[in-house]
Amino acid sequence: MRFGTRPGASSRVADTATRASRRRGNKRGGGEGVWYPRWFWPSFATPASLYLLVFFVLPLYVIVSIAFGTVDATFQSPRPIYQPWFWTSQYLTKVTRDAVGYQRGVYIRTFIYVFIASVLCVLIAYTVAYYVSRFGGKRKGLFLTLLIAPFFVSYLMRMLAWINLLQIEGYVNKILGWIPFVPHKVNWLGGYPWTVVLGLVYGYVPYMILPLYGFLDRIQQSLLEAGRDLGASPARTFMRVTLPLSRQAILAGIVIVTLPMFGDYYTNNLLSNSPKTQMVGNLLDNAVNNTGQGPLAAVLVLIIMIILLVPMAYYLRSTSNELKVST
Amino acid sequence: MSGPRGWYRNPWRKPRVLQVATWGYLAWSILPVVIAIVISFNSGRSSATFQGFSLQWWNGAPQGDAQGSLFKSPDLHAAIIQTIRLSIIVMLIAVPLGVAFAIGLDRWRGRVAKTANFTMLASFVVPEIIIGVALFYTFTYTLNAAVKLGTTAQIIGLIAFQVSYPVIVVRARLLSIGKEYEEAAMDLGAPPRAAIRRVLLPMLYPAIFASFALVFADVVDDFVTVRYLSGGSSTETLSVKIYGAVRATPIPVYNAAASFMLFTTVVAIAVVYVLYKRFGRGQEGSAADFAAGQL
Amino acid sequence: MAHPRERWTGKELDRRQFLARAAAAGVALPSLAAIMEACSNPREGTTSTSKDPAGDGGLWQPGWPYPLARQDKPVTWNIFPDNQPIASDLQPEKNATLEIYNWDQYIWPKIIGEFADKYNCEFKITTFNNMDEALAKMRTGQLSFDVFFPTIDVLGKLISSKLLQPLNQDYIPNLPANVWDTYQDPFYDAGWQYTVPYTIYTTGIGYRTDVISKDEIEAMSNPYDIFWDPKYKGQVGIYDDYREAISMTLLRHGITDLNTTDPATIQQAGQDLIDLLNATNVRTSINGAYVGIPKGQYQVHQAWSGDIAAAWFYVPQATMANYQTIGYWYPKDRVGAVNNDCLAIPANSKSPVLAHLFLNYMLDFKNAMNNFSWVGYQVPQKQADPQTLTTTKSVQGEPYIFPWLSEAVVQEEDFKTGFLELELEPSVDALWHEAWSQFQSG
Repeated sequence: MRFGTRPGASSRVADTATRASRRRGNKRGGGEGVWYPRWFWPSFATPASLYLLVFFVLPLYVIVSIAFGTVDATFQSPRPIYQPWFWTSQYLTKVTRDAVGYQRGVYIRTFIYVFIASVLCVLIAYTVAYYVSRFGGKRKGLFLTLLIAPFFVSYLMRMLAWINLLQIEGYVNKILGWIPFVPHKVNWLGGYPWTVVLGLVYGYVPYMILPLYGFLDRIQQSLLEAGRDLGASPARTFMRVTLPLSRQAILAGIVIVTLPMFGDYYTNNLLSNSPKTQMVGNLLDNAVNNTGQGPLAAVLVLIIMIILLVPMAYYLRSTSNELKVST
Repeated sequence: MSGPRGWYRNPWRKPRVLQVATWGYLAWSILPVVIAIVISFNSGRSSATFQGFSLQWWNGAPQGDAQGSLFKSPDLHAAIIQTIRLSIIVMLIAVPLGVAFAIGLDRWRGRVAKTANFTMLASFVVPEIIIGVALFYTFTYTLNAAVKLGTTAQIIGLIAFQVSYPVIVVRARLLSIGKEYEEAAMDLGAPPRAAIRRVLLPMLYPAIFASFALVFADVVDDFVTVRYLSGGSSTETLSVKIYGAVRATPIPVYNAAASFMLFTTVVAIAVVYVLYKRFGRGQEGSAADFAAGQL
Repeated sequence: MAHPRERWTGKELDRRQFLARAAAAGVALPSLAAIMEACSNPREGTTSTSKDPAGDGGLWQPGWPYPLARQDKPVTWNIFPDNQPIASDLQPEKNATLEIYNWDQYIWPKIIGEFADKYNCEFKITTFNNMDEALAKMRTGQLSFDVFFPTIDVLGKLISSKLLQPLNQDYIPNLPANVWDTYQDPFYDAGWQYTVPYTIYTTGIGYRTDVISKDEIEAMSNPYDIFWDPKYKGQVGIYDDYREAISMTLLRHGITDLNTTDPATIQQAGQDLIDLLNATNVRTSINGAYVGIPKGQYQVHQAWSGDIAAAWFYVPQATMANYQTIGYWYPKDRVGAVNNDCLAIPANSKSPVLAHLFLNYMLDFKNAMNNFSWVGYQVPQKQADPQTLTTTKSVQGEPYIFPWLSEAVVQEEDFKTGFLELELEPSVDALWHEAWSQFQSG
């Protein structure tokens, strides 16, 4: 599984002193001083570029060819049409008709789940990142280790952990059993939206904490102390100084967690598996496996890409901006 | 100032609420996983309650269960081998490919370079299901004759998805190194390739080692691309087996399988750390490189 | 396309020259063909234009890719010239691995293990979740399996696409010797040229007897309504199988044509499933009946008789009282859904001789019954008297089917009174799938 990464953020992790020395180097004349053969740098990048061309860009074209293609007579399996002048838009029409028709609920649900999960992620991640960066003190190393730990536990295992806990005879119900008047025979895995949202938050929040931490850690302590010295309450300092400063970082964090959430089908499958909690990712996963719906699956891929266009563009722009700034 | 109002206004008070919330979060994020590992040693069949210590799900013969234990079941045994095989092969191909890509992209200017960079970032941010489905259709239709579903398809797909990892980690490192070192080497008469190999590459070791560990760990965990491109049970990895079965029959053998994956990842990181200590001495920031890949 | 060699007839070519040209042609011709294909309209050929159906009999119209077998319209499938059965009297492959493509938990690995020991081979089981998924992977032709477990409603697709190989019956003497007369000449594959029967089952309702008593469900005027009863909200499941799920809603309305082609009926059935979702938050699963009911994850689940018979393996603690929590309902007058599954050999099997021997092995009385005792699915063996299945102890130490589950026993007559889900014409199948997707997206 893969989650959004921000090279820009990582460049901040890098030592700022070296960056300063680089800027000096650039002034001195930088790259122009040394001659490289014209093919020199491209030769490094060519193998991987070709690889991505064949196994990333071409497959996306295959998806387009299937989305605008037809199906064969016997298996109803996709027949890709590679020449745009023969394309048919019947499946595009069908999927868009369904999207505003009977599948509307799935799209709306996906947006709601992703929205709630991202808000919860921001609340949790911000609180934790804020505390560790401001008040971590001597324990910062320990905190960071604990915050990084979930990265090395696979997503699958973290979902498995909750499947264990949320079973009818699991520990969550056992703990609820100690509290009087609280139902403790709940089948949490029986198709509850909140279970799915919990899974999403649990799965993705670690990916928001670290970048937020990285950012908050860099906010100048003196800026905050100035606010406090002027008598502002912690809440006021936070509202007037810290929060406005961290708007960009929060936005970036949201992009990091929402991108994979829109393609997520496994969280729902593992923790609920009810049609009532299906997300767009599930539509796609189902269509791939349903006979005759290959072209629909391809159109769904395109739709997910379109949904993600805005966050992806934001991500690409912010990373390239940061690369520009630091180059 | 005193009383609740004073407490509220005091700018230097201890943030108890935040502290509790943070520890609460840490417990919430780590305890379930610890419990899941403990349950892999369950003596009972339940994956919900711990009934006593036993190694039966790891290396025994659990009673009345067709699946058997992690190391004894031929099925899961094959999955372990496939997991490790994919991880190592993908790691060995994706990392060199990505490191070269990073070096090239960092210095190469122009429209082509920009497009290549954009493609790399796009492959990095699209949800995995999209790459998985796209490659599934590519291999079963367009390239049906050339690539069969199974190990080859999985390796190709995983590399397509993983190659951006080392690129991003290494580029972060390159940004902090700058061009001075290899330029100095060339000023002293080293040919460009030698300058890269003898000067720049050693400086990139921490980032390269971190990439090895990241790619390895990520492939061990993958169950999306690997599932779509698997050709049959013999090419399913542990994570695909767990994904397929755990929802329906959550028995502790899958906890054992998941714990084993975690163990493999930790070992990979330890190996990288040792290598880093040997080859990357005097250089800062392996942890930072790890973080770079994850941020 | 003519073989390249034919074009040089009459002209002397030395060997080297010939090889060079052949190599060039080998490279050029396929790419030329690809370019030619690219120039013609790729939309053509998406409907079958063959006037020759892939078999004799059945329902067929020009334009359909395969005939549809019905009980009163049996189909004799063609044996295609380029897809012939293997020769008789071959030795089983050496050092081979028998690749089995099967549903999960649908064969006792021990039986395959014994087969593997006997014929000195390895074996591997790959599982699929539903037939759609299996077909999607089979269709690619990329996977090579030796034994496949098709339902009878996909045979036309598989056979007309030459994905199954015709059987050499010489290797399978156990079928004429042991199996019910019905299957000596089944309507879906007259003369059993491509398949042998594997198991027989009915589709009814599995339930927990500690929540719903047997009298209670039998007293209901329409027991299928139990799925819609809000009392069991969150505890209701149906199979993750578009044919079974939709057929259940059809039967609820008294519609017994489980192969209906009427769009309005199909649409209505899909709507019923959505209502079901709203009424009880129904979930779909493939093993809810045999794992979910004994474990208490479901109180009511659509159930194949075989799943119910095997469910006792999955109770949390092995006690008779726990076994008795498992209940099964099937119409008293035996007018419900009934079917059988098959064993077949994919055309690209790497070990076809072993595969034939395996089919025969599974039709052996002892092996079939031992497998039955583990998977729970009854086998159409002549020597297995349905009347005694609830009393005879199997190798598992319990009756094949517990006495309180006697409704789960399948009789040969059930195939006359019951209704079968059979193959659909692709455009009708698309309607069924459409209704199913509507349900799937809630």
